Amino acid sequence: MGLLSLLIFLPLLALAGILLIPSRYQQSYKYVALVITLVQLGLSGYLYTQFNPNLAGINQLSGYQFVEVLPWIRLDLGAIGKLEIDYFLGVDGFSLPLLLLSAFVMLMAVGASWNISKSRKGYFALLMLLNTAVMGIFCALDFFLFYVFYEVMLLPLYFLIGIWGGERREYAAIKFFLYTLFGSVFMLLIIVGLYFSVLNPHTGAHTFNMLYMMNPDNYIDGSFFGYINNSFDVFGIPARMIGFIVLFIAFAIKIPIVPLHTWLPDAHVEAPTPVSIILAGILLKIGGYGIIRICIAIFPDAAAEANWWLALIGVISILYGAFNALAQTDLKRLIAYSSVSHMGFVLLGISALTAESLSGAMFQMLSHGFLSAALFFLVGVLYDRVHDRYIYNFRGIAGIMPKYTAYVAIAFFASLGLPGFSAFIGEAFVIIGTFNAESVGTGIPRWMAIFGSLGILLSAAYFLWTLQRMFFGETRLKGGETWAVAMNDLTVREQLILFPALALALLLGIMPSLAFEPMNNAVLGLLKLVENYL
Amino acid sequence: MNEAVPYISNYIDSIIQAVPYFKTEIILAIGFLCSIFGSLFLDKIWKNSSFAISIISYALAAYCNYQQYDALGTAFFNMLHIDRFGLHAKFMLLLALIVSSILIQQHFQHSTSNKRKGDIYTILLGSSIGMSILCMTSHWLMAFIGIEMVSISSYILVGYFAETKKQTEAAMKYALFGSACAAIMLYGLSLIYGFTGVLDFADQKHMQGLIDAPKVMSGIALLFVLTGIGFKLSFVPFHLWSPDVYEGAPTPVAAFLSTAPKIAAIILFSRLIQAWGNTLFYFSEILLIFIVLVAIVSMLAGNLIALRQQNVKRMMAYSSIGHTGFLLMAALGYMAGHQEALLFYLAIYTFMNLAAFAFIDLLEKQQGNSNLSSYSGLGKQLPILFTLFSFVGISLVGIPPSAGFVGKLFVFSAIFERYQEMGDMAYIWLLIIGALTSVISLFYYFKIPLYAFLKSKTNESVGQPIGWTPSYIVAILLSILLLLFGLFPSLLMQLF
Repeated sequence: MGLLSLLIFLPLLALAGILLIPSRYQQSYKYVALVITLVQLGLSGYLYTQFNPNLAGINQLSGYQFVEVLPWIRLDLGAIGKLEIDYFLGVDGFSLPLLLLSAFVMLMAVGASWNISKSRKGYFALLMLLNTAVMGIFCALDFFLFYVFYEVMLLPLYFLIGIWGGERREYAAIKFFLYTLFGSVFMLLIIVGLYFSVLNPHTGAHTFNMLYMMNPDNYIDGSFFGYINNSFDVFGIPARMIGFIVLFIAFAIKIPIVPLHTWLPDAHVEAPTPVSIILAGILLKIGGYGIIRICIAIFPDAAAEANWWLALIGVISILYGAFNALAQTDLKRLIAYSSVSHMGFVLLGISALTAESLSGAMFQMLSHGFLSAALFFLVGVLYDRVHDRYIYNFRGIAGIMPKYTAYVAIAFFASLGLPGFSAFIGEAFVIIGTFNAESVGTGIPRWMAIFGSLGILLSAAYFLWTLQRMFFGETRLKGGETWAVAMNDLTVREQLILFPALALALLLGIMPSLAFEPMNNAVLGLLKLVENYL
Repeated sequence: MNEAVPYISNYIDSIIQAVPYFKTEIILAIGFLCSIFGSLFLDKIWKNSSFAISIISYALAAYCNYQQYDALGTAFFNMLHIDRFGLHAKFMLLLALIVSSILIQQHFQHSTSNKRKGDIYTILLGSSIGMSILCMTSHWLMAFIGIEMVSISSYILVGYFAETKKQTEAAMKYALFGSACAAIMLYGLSLIYGFTGVLDFADQKHMQGLIDAPKVMSGIALLFVLTGIGFKLSFVPFHLWSPDVYEGAPTPVAAFLSTAPKIAAIILFSRLIQAWGNTLFYFSEILLIFIVLVAIVSMLAGNLIALRQQNVKRMMAYSSIGHTGFLLMAALGYMAGHQEALLFYLAIYTFMNLAAFAFIDLLEKQQGNSNLSSYSGLGKQLPILFTLFSFVGISLVGIPPSAGFVGKLFVFSAIFERYQEMGDMAYIWLLIIGALTSVISLFYYFKIPLYAFLKSKTNESVGQPIGWTPSYIVAILLSILLLLFGLFPSLLMQLF
């Protein structure tokens, strides 16, 4: 059993443990979860140190590290041919940083769940199941396996939002589920199509292996997604373009892009704090990761053709999310919309298809991962104390919660892209890369970069304005004395969770090479795939 | 008459030779007789005797069926085809029958009704012979006899224990609707016989006759015949009986109706469209359009109407209409030579529905009704049951890691492969609607966990706890199988 399998299945072990420990000892569940996530973080840290940044990955098996291959499902289906599904894991420069991020955010989430009191057994069991699924998504290199993890992820989330969420939790939970499933069932059809189009060159069997899907030589001539002699079209759109569009929509719902984002504010607002942390910190990244790993790598030709539209959607998401954030009066909703805006940078960076922008997009994902987790945690701190998040119900919090205000201020400044923090690097690289795109010839005009940078300005506006409205000035609270008493400053546990996240933001802001180094070769490898079609 | 005399000995010889092919059905027939005897005399001494007799007959039949794999062939002048396809289907049938019998036995264990409960097993055995014939025949006469045997048994099953007005109404509707459909089918058959002079639909002459007949007439005959099969399969527009019947019938009977007769009917239907659909004449085209249309409408109607249901049994009725649409898709796959996709989906469908109805039955007994609202907040009280029930729901939607997902994947693959070959847009529409309705179906299947886990309890009355009864164990086993085949589909798939 390799390290990646260990990483994926440790939480399942914790799940079994939690289910077996009788409810009398329910205090122990969180410790089980904590220990397991700590071990996971240690493991992924170890992977990071052992990772060889010189290998590219992407479409070469030799470029992947910590690879595990086991035959999983082998069927002889007669006319359809042989069915080949592998348990196939491996990481490259794209997945390793995200794996580390996931382990980190999971730990934060477990820390944030410390005071959960409603049916702890179910809660921590579901959290561990979610953990397994997320780790699996980032490691899987077989499309079938990826899909299984991708769908399994939805089930615990539905229940975590639906049972432990706020007032409109049932609505938010099913909305989230329906949106994602809508994207993924159509993805399933594309998977089937790819399966019939791709042959394993060594065995001659149809395969779900993603790496084989990235190599044009493995496509059967005249097959549905084939490169050569492909006359298929659906509703007038060439088959390969349809495949790209459907996969893009499936992942774009996760990112989320405007106009497919409407599940996100609802899910975030209704979800309990730890689940918001996971949603913002990890799940949105699955969208970006999917577009890089699957949409672009498997359909580079279509990606090169459609990238103008993708970039446009990215710009729209940046601006629309930012304007919406400006208009929000619920602090959690504000942060949710800021996520839409910040993830728009990721899409813009990916679609610009230059080395800078793609690295910037990856960096922005990491940076947004722990910054948004910290932001949602900070909102949760306030909500735990007074059960209110309405911005205008608070004023002058700085007077009664100085430490809290300091953390909020740092998190806000980090998120709005202050130089020295990670978000600056990510956004700056995306903008620079997009600006260069015209000279490199990837077809993204300069005005998109300019409009994108407008988003940074807007994010400064809504963050600073919120800071001013809620934290500065004379202390005036809607709940009066009772609130003032309830709003005691951060506890040690809360600081213990927040500090590493913000410290990481600073560290990466100062030493971006920590993240750029392992992903650099993978980024170049991916661009080489697309290059031929630009 | 005199001309026939020299042939009589030949006929008798070949009938005697055919008997070994008919072993399974003979056993079921003997079981049927024993069961009548049992319910008349032995039930007074041991009240479960006819139940025991029926289970033994099914087990013996399954054993015979297993042995039959070594002796494939045709029997009774080509009226019966004993091939692997039919034998696999018969296994599923027998499994469904055994599980339904156990559920029925548990359901009526404590009922105070003074009707003889033993008879219900007898009727089930009777229907099993009909279904088993449907699985092996391509001869209209046999098919009609099979359909009628199943139908008449089903009317009795639904109506026998009717206590309330609603149940009686359901039984009455069922019988009237069924007889009308049977009459129409018979008329269609007489037309077809008139055109072709052959009753075997796989026969070359049969096809030729249909092609030679006037287009309108053979079209009408085709539609009439499909009416009868459509009634048994309950696809749109012949589905109207099923919600009322599922709601009105005792739950285990609904479990039976949603699985076994459907298996038999879809097998017959697949054989039919394989014979008729693969020709180059306009006839095949009409048939293809018809199937695609019916499959799409069934999937949409079943899943959309199910959204609004508040009664779980009614919801399952519409869900199974939707699944029928999907099964038709699988049957199209069979036409293209993918029998494994059809058989796999059929097997998984049987497991899912039996498990779901077993859970519904257990909860109905505890709560006194099967309304979704009565599940409110029960998840806390019955965590294992509702976790598994939700998992069965997940499988019915077709989300991994359940077997329902793998089944859907195989069917999609079969249809996709067909599309790649033929390039007909109809297949793409089938795929799109199939995927879309999966999303829609999530909404209502997830009402089960929604009420059980997300909503809080409305009434404080605590029903009696659910013990480890046989039906509970069966349901748990089926759910575990769904997970197992979801993770390792090869275990089941390699059998087909």
